[in-house]
Amino acid sequence: MKRAFVFGLIGFAGCALLAFNASGAGGPKPEPPAKATTIAELAERFDSSRCADCHEEIYDEWENSLHARSILGSPRTAPTIITAIEKGLKLFPYSGVKSDDDITVEHLMICTKCHLPQLDEATDDVAREIVATIRGWQQAYRDGDDDKAEELEETIESLNIGCMVCHNKVAFIHKWADGYPQPDTVYGGQEGDHEDEEYALMAEAPALGESIFCGQCHGQGPNFELEHPSQCATAYGSYLFAYVAHGGSESCQECHMEKSELGHNMQSYRDEAMIEMALDVKVESQSLFWRKNKADGVVPIGVIDVSMYNKTGHAIPDG
Amino acid sequence: MGRGPYEKSGILRETSLAPLKTTHETFEIAYPFEDVEKDGKTRRELVNDELKVTVTLYYVPFGEFDGNEVVFFEDEKTIDLKTEWIWR
Repeated sequence: MKRAFVFGLIGFAGCALLAFNASGAGGPKPEPPAKATTIAELAERFDSSRCADCHEEIYDEWENSLHARSILGSPRTAPTIITAIEKGLKLFPYSGVKSDDDITVEHLMICTKCHLPQLDEATDDVAREIVATIRGWQQAYRDGDDDKAEELEETIESLNIGCMVCHNKVAFIHKWADGYPQPDTVYGGQEGDHEDEEYALMAEAPALGESIFCGQCHGQGPNFELEHPSQCATAYGSYLFAYVAHGGSESCQECHMEKSELGHNMQSYRDEAMIEMALDVKVESQSLFWRKNKADGVVPIGVIDVSMYNKTGHAIPDG
Repeated sequence: MGRGPYEKSGILRETSLAPLKTTHETFEIAYPFEDVEKDGKTRRELVNDELKVTVTLYYVPFGEFDGNEVVFFEDEKTIDLKTEWIWR
C-alpha cells in the first residue's frame, strides 16, 4: 500500500511538472471579436483563399478534403442539419425551437461544434441564415433551378474548416498552460514573421501535430459540454482506448497526412490510399463433406474463412 | 462492417473491426447436390464439384446499399470438392 502511494505521488509530481513546463506561443485571452452578422461576413473572416497566394499546394490539397465543405458535406451534412432540426430540435419539448425563427447559435452547435466551430463568432441571425440557405438550396434542387442551387451551394461551401480554424481558432487545447490563440498570429511549426497584413506573425502550437488536436472533433462520443449532447464521432476515443492502450503509437497526422501522402487533403474510407492502409484481408478456404446434423445428414460444403486485420489507429468504421 | 458516426449511433453497439486486432468471419456454402434413387436406395450426388466464390468487403457508411458503399477488398476463388465420397 505504501509503495503504491509513493508511486502515485511520484506520478503526480511528474504530471504536474509536465503541465507547468509545457508552453506554447499563445498569449493572454484576447477580447472576443465582434460577432459576424451575416454568412458573408463570417465566411470572409475565415476565408482560406487568401492563404493560397503563398501556400498554393496546401490550399489545393485542402480544397479536395471534406474540411473544405464541412457544412455541405458529401453533400449529406447540410440535409442532416435540417433533419436534426425537424426530427430533433422541433420535437424536443424543452429546446425552445418551434420554428426556424427560434433557432440560435447554441442550437446549431450540436452540429457546428465540429462542422463550423467559428459559428460562436456569429449572431443568432447567422444561424438562422444558414438554415434558410440550406432549405433554399434543397428547394432549388427540387424545383430543378440549377443556377440557384449552385449559387446557394457556393454560399454553404463558404462555411468550412478552413486554414484559420485549425491554425488559429482551435490551435491551442491547454490554454491555461500554452495560452490563447492571438488574433495576429498563424500557428504551425515555425516562429517568426508572416507575410500577411492580418496575421503578421507565426508561432508554434504544441498540439497541432498530435492526435489530441484532431480529437477535438473526431472525438470520444457524446459532447457532454452541450445542453443536448449528440452521440457523434468516436475516433479519438477508439484511438486512445483501443489503439494506444494496446500498443499503437502512430498519430492521426502520421497516417492521414504523411504516410498517405495526402497532406492537407485528409481523407478516409473513400480514398484508395486510405483503403490500402486500412486492412490486411486474407481469404482461406476448404471443402469437405460435413455431417451437419441428423436431419440434413452429410452435406458437401465449402468453408470460406476471411480474416481482417485492422492496421489503423481506430475502429473501422469510425470518424 | 457496421456503421460510423453518420447515424449518431457511434458505439452504442460495437460492430466495428477493432484496431490492431484480427477479426474472422466464416461462411459455409453448400455445394449443389441432389438425392438420387438408385436400386431402391436414395443416394446423394454432387451436381457440381467446383464453386466460384467472390469475397467482397464493403464499407457501408449509411447502413444500407444505397450507392454510397465502398469496396474495401475483393477476391475471387475457385474451390473444389473432388474427393470421392459415397453417401450411405
